[in-house]
Amino acid sequence: MNSTDIQIALCGSAGDGTIAAGDILRNAVAALGYRVICFDVYPPEIRGFGKCISRVRITTEQTYALKRQSDLLISLDDSHAIPHAGEVRTDGAIIYESKPVGHCPEGSHMSSHILPGQIPYGIPLRELAEKATGGARSRNLVVLGVIAGLLGFSPVPFQKIIEKKFAKQGPAVVSRNQAGFQSGYDVGVNTFKLDNVFCVPQESNPAAGKVVMLSGNAAVVQGCMDAELDTFFGYPITPATTIMERLATAMPKRGRRLLQTEDEISAIAATIGAGYTGARSATATSGPGLALMAEMLGLATMAEIPCVIFVSQRGGPSTGMPTKTEQSDLNAALYGSPGDSQRIVIAPTNVEGCYRCAGKAFEMSEQYQTPVIVLLDLYLSNRYETVTLTESGPPFTLNANKPLRRLEAGESYQRYAFTEDGVSPRAVPGDSGCMHVVTGLEHNTLGRPNDSEEIHTAMSRKRHDKLLAALHHPDFTVTKRIGHSGRIKVGILAWGSTFGECLEAMFMAHAEGISCASMKVVMLSPFPVEAVTQFMDDCDQVLVPEVNYEGQFAQLLQGILARPVVRLSRVPGSPMPVELILSEIRRLAGVV
Amino acid sequence: MTLMEKHVFVDEKLQEVRESGRLEYRSRSLPTWCPGCGYFAIVEGLTHACNTMGIAADQAVVVSGIGCSSRFPFFVNLFGFHTRNGRVLPVATGIKTANDKLTVIGVGGDGDGFAIGGGHIAHAAKRNVDITYLLFDNGIYGLTKGQASPLSAIGLRTSTTPFENPERPLNPLMMLLSYGASWVGQAYAGQPDHLREMITQAIAHRGFSYLHILSPCVTFDKTSKTYTNLSMKVRKLPAKHDTSNLMEAMQQAQDLDNPAVGLYYQQFRPTLSDTFDQVIALSAGEGRGA
Repeated sequence: MNSTDIQIALCGSAGDGTIAAGDILRNAVAALGYRVICFDVYPPEIRGFGKCISRVRITTEQTYALKRQSDLLISLDDSHAIPHAGEVRTDGAIIYESKPVGHCPEGSHMSSHILPGQIPYGIPLRELAEKATGGARSRNLVVLGVIAGLLGFSPVPFQKIIEKKFAKQGPAVVSRNQAGFQSGYDVGVNTFKLDNVFCVPQESNPAAGKVVMLSGNAAVVQGCMDAELDTFFGYPITPATTIMERLATAMPKRGRRLLQTEDEISAIAATIGAGYTGARSATATSGPGLALMAEMLGLATMAEIPCVIFVSQRGGPSTGMPTKTEQSDLNAALYGSPGDSQRIVIAPTNVEGCYRCAGKAFEMSEQYQTPVIVLLDLYLSNRYETVTLTESGPPFTLNANKPLRRLEAGESYQRYAFTEDGVSPRAVPGDSGCMHVVTGLEHNTLGRPNDSEEIHTAMSRKRHDKLLAALHHPDFTVTKRIGHSGRIKVGILAWGSTFGECLEAMFMAHAEGISCASMKVVMLSPFPVEAVTQFMDDCDQVLVPEVNYEGQFAQLLQGILARPVVRLSRVPGSPMPVELILSEIRRLAGVV
Repeated sequence: MTLMEKHVFVDEKLQEVRESGRLEYRSRSLPTWCPGCGYFAIVEGLTHACNTMGIAADQAVVVSGIGCSSRFPFFVNLFGFHTRNGRVLPVATGIKTANDKLTVIGVGGDGDGFAIGGGHIAHAAKRNVDITYLLFDNGIYGLTKGQASPLSAIGLRTSTTPFENPERPLNPLMMLLSYGASWVGQAYAGQPDHLREMITQAIAHRGFSYLHILSPCVTFDKTSKTYTNLSMKVRKLPAKHDTSNLMEAMQQAQDLDNPAVGLYYQQFRPTLSDTFDQVIALSAGEGRGA
């Protein structure tokens, strides 16, 4: 065997350090040169003993989503982990506490839930932690040691990351925690090994570029910084908050300004105000915040002011499910404003896409003088992937404004002059002699209020038509087809984070001999009619998997193209199961 | 001395206005307000202030919300942003954050500022954004034809309070003083010379300056904030009023029956720009340490 594909699930109660252990694990294996995809599930409460799961898939080849079945489950809290015992594949293993403290009622211990064919590793985690560190709190590090020893990962990157993580608390804490890890490692290497799990040592390949591990939100931040974002205004909301938190550290270091506003209305208002002066400006929110921003987004459309809004969706409506993922804000992103409020909406499908979409959003926003919504979701925002960054520098244009023409003597500057491409040269405050008023009222070319039929028709057309050029925006993937070419039985059309699951399902279907292909639609407004129509022409059946109840993307497709599609809409609060997509592909292909 | 006490000849007055240079700051659009509206005096006041202070027209932005008052940017020859109901202050904050060099003036009515946009005032004042906020108080919603506003007098009959406004009006000066606004003043559109002086001072102040301008709506309010009533009631702040004393300012602001015009309170403290600079300096320090 020359390739590795291991998925590890760490499960515990809030406060056990489950997510922290997952964080160390993914960083360590990324440092070892593996490709990594991770996604954490945690409760909306900070304490309160809710369930935390950190899943890490470690591979040698590029993969696109987590697997449904894990190879290794680690229980830091049996009451939470027991329901997940079935998640471990046959011949996979479960690591659990072999010496629980106190009375253990029948059925409450992991050992009684391990299925035939699963391999039990009962390890005295608490005892090891207490012996090595004098306390039980470092059980999570002991367990990391067991994993590393068992699977044959080098302990060096683990120890380095532990050192870095605890450096601020002094050398005594560092060495205690390192001792905890080491005690687990010693147990792991001396335990019988799992067969059919292969860890092929990786060598880093510097020629391919720098490999970094980023979450979707971190990639957005990287994109913003590389596109030289000037100002950011935001209001905390899960799962978008970490974008603002990361920018709050990164921006001042580059002399840039970030302001936490009093609500989402003022966040978008200030973003538009800053955009009006010519600065690159952005805000980030989730569905409930997008609802509050709807009115001001209409103003940005009407006044033709560049601004970028990152929207990370969560379960809705209303407060909904703040820590669960969903793709149900598509309609709000596309249409959520009064009037014909045309705008650009793009949705990356993976972490690398988050980086590119973030940077490109600024280009498009300036070039077409319009708000751009970048639609993420909790799954994409919070999942970690290894991303290869090219060394040739950021691939973004830093000033995409249409240059201002010199005014003739006595000529009035026309902010909304009609042009061939519908984009008017933009003057900003400070441009000499170009004083004008921008307004949310319908206006003539000078920006003066005007509600005549001719003006409203011509201006509505201008605001609509100028966006169509975005479908051919340079160096931007609007749609992409992957899989079999030519005529196919099943075509999968998907958007956003679900596309990764679609690819996994498609490759499994390929292995079964089913002819199928997938297309991701990254630009959702304006809609790439031509590319999607071409793809649908090739398909006997079109499957549209998405994580929302009403099939919002399928509705969009059917509304624009008036063609039948097969919907696969689910709201599990978690990513779409790959098996579900696969079984739909099989059904549509006539293979049962 | 009022205009009535000396002869004024139109030709001479026009000549004087032309020579003053302040017409440079007036746009070619004619104001859409009713004849007699107090807002004319405010346009005059702002153009005067810009002219006196030598503000370059392309370095100033007037931001407005929605309402009669918010058409203001169209009537001055500065950069203008006519935004949405109540969003004057956050938009102005964004503009000032992105470009410190601009002189940013927010204008809006009492409904715009204290009803739909009421949540923003506290935060603009707290952050001490270096902008000037001119609040036009006519105690009525004029553009939608005469509904009650948060500053309508108790007992006022309007189209939405046909039997009498049962609610007590807000006390805006008390609010601004307790929010920590660093410059709080009041003026009256019926006293244009004083108004002009107050606008100039408000713009000159470094920090968030709030100027409350009492201004009659001659069309929809015939009984409450009229020129006749206000001219009888408005008084000047006492000569010995201490503008650095917050408690004294609050005491003066309590008198809603006889509103006093003048500068209530002024404080010098770091502006939002200063705090940004401070954060940037701190972050650089951390970078060196790490």
